[in-house]
Formats: sequence, C-alpha cells, structure tokens
Amino acid sequence: MRKRKKAGPIEALGDGAFRINLTDAERETMLSFVDQLEDVLAAEQTDPRLRRLFPTAYHENPDLDAEYQGYMRDELSQSRASSIATVREVLATHEPISESQLYAFMMVLNSLRLVLGTLLGVSEDDDTDDIEDDDPTFGQAQLYGYLGWLLEWTVDTLSNG
Amino acid sequence: MPVIRPGDTHASDTQVAEPEVTETPETDLPWIVLVWNDPINLMSYVSFVFQKLFGYSKEKADLLMLDVHEKGRAVVSSGSREHAEIDVFRLHEHGLWATMQKDS
Repeated sequence: MRKRKKAGPIEALGDGAFRINLTDAERETMLSFVDQLEDVLAAEQTDPRLRRLFPTAYHENPDLDAEYQGYMRDELSQSRASSIATVREVLATHEPISESQLYAFMMVLNSLRLVLGTLLGVSEDDDTDDIEDDDPTFGQAQLYGYLGWLLEWTVDTLSNG
Repeated sequence: MPVIRPGDTHASDTQVAEPEVTETPETDLPWIVLVWNDPINLMSYVSFVFQKLFGYSKEKADLLMLDVHEKGRAVVSSGSREHAEIDVFRLHEHGLWATMQKDS
C-alpha cells in the first residue's frame, strides 16, 4: 500500500465507502464529457467512434456475429446508459459513494478514454505525452492523459480499498 | 441490467467444457474467449477486470494481461457457446477487445 500525505482524487473511506475529490470545475468538465459520450452512443452503428465500444464478438464468423449483435447490442447500450446515469449521480454529490457507484465511474471513464483514444488515433508506439503544445490535438491529448490519471486512481483505489 | 457488480464472479478458471447434452457433435468442442491487445486500455485496468469478471487472483490476472500485451492476445476463459457469449459481453461492457471462437 502506498502511503500518501494527501487523499488524491479517489479516496477509500473504509467500510465500502469512497469519495471522489474533484473540484466543481472538474465535475462540470466530467459531466460535459459524459454528455458527449451519450451523444456518441446515440450515433449510427457504423460511426467509427463506436468501433471500440461495440467490438466484433465472432471474429471468424460474420453470420454468427450479426446474430450476436442482433440480441446483444441493445443490452450493451442499456448497460452503458445505466452506468452513465450512475455517474451523473456520483458527480452531483459530495457525499460518500458506494463501491458499485465507483465501479460505474470506472467503466464510464474507460469508455471515455476509448472514444477519445480512437479519435486521437492512439497506437502502440504513440506516446500522447510527446505531442507538442502547438499541435491541434494537444488539448485532446491532455484530456486523454487526465482521464488516464483518474482511471488509474480509480482502479488502484478499488483494488486496495 | 448491470451485469457486473463488484465481487460478482463466476468460476471459469478451468479448461473443461461445461457438460451439456447436444444433438450436434460439433458443439462438443468448447469455445474459447480471447482478449486482444489494444493500445488504449490501461494495463492495471485490464488486470483488474480479469480479477473481477473471472475471479482470478491478481497474479494470474497480471500474467494474462501481460500475455495479451506481449503476445497480442490471450485466452481468458472457455466453455459452452452460451457461457463464452456471456463472457464476451461482460468484457465488451468493460471496453475490452474480446472475441470468441471454437477451440481447435
């Protein structure tokens, strides 16, 4: 266990309770990301931004995959919508949250990273830290880094908390 | 429905297909669930998801995650087709790049 002087953005309070230590400005930013994620999820199925959120299941068999997507895609959308609703509650409260609420927060953070990473064209050799500050994607890359930092904290806290 | 809750695990830490009576011999072969390497998901996140979904120890989950990272993919579970579909769904729900195929 790491010993820290400060609580960090995600804090385990014990007894299955957690707290998200984000400023109101950060919460508003996160909420606007969540709104955008919802818009992306409502896009056409062929939208490239959705590629990583709704992957192929049967990579060797397009027929079976079409069948699978036919009955699973809606369920996956509903599951994401449910996590998003939870995250809105989480961002609106300064009270302690439960493990399952933090878990939903983690899943939504990861979905956001997948969409943003896809938009940025992140590949194995890329390091988004290396993007110059006059690059048009610099801002997005910073956000991507921010989401990664918050996700890392969330995973770490859920693992140890 | 929220398919996954923290601590909600199922045992699939085995290579043995679930016994099932079927009419077609080809379904005797178990299905395997693969997770493919991707440049976006964090390594710590992937390992954590394996622990949560499959009840694997941290050690086993870390090894699997490293397998995915270094070899490009790893088999994370196996079983009947229905079982594999549920695992693929839960992995997709967590944003992992999972597919399934018949074991060969």
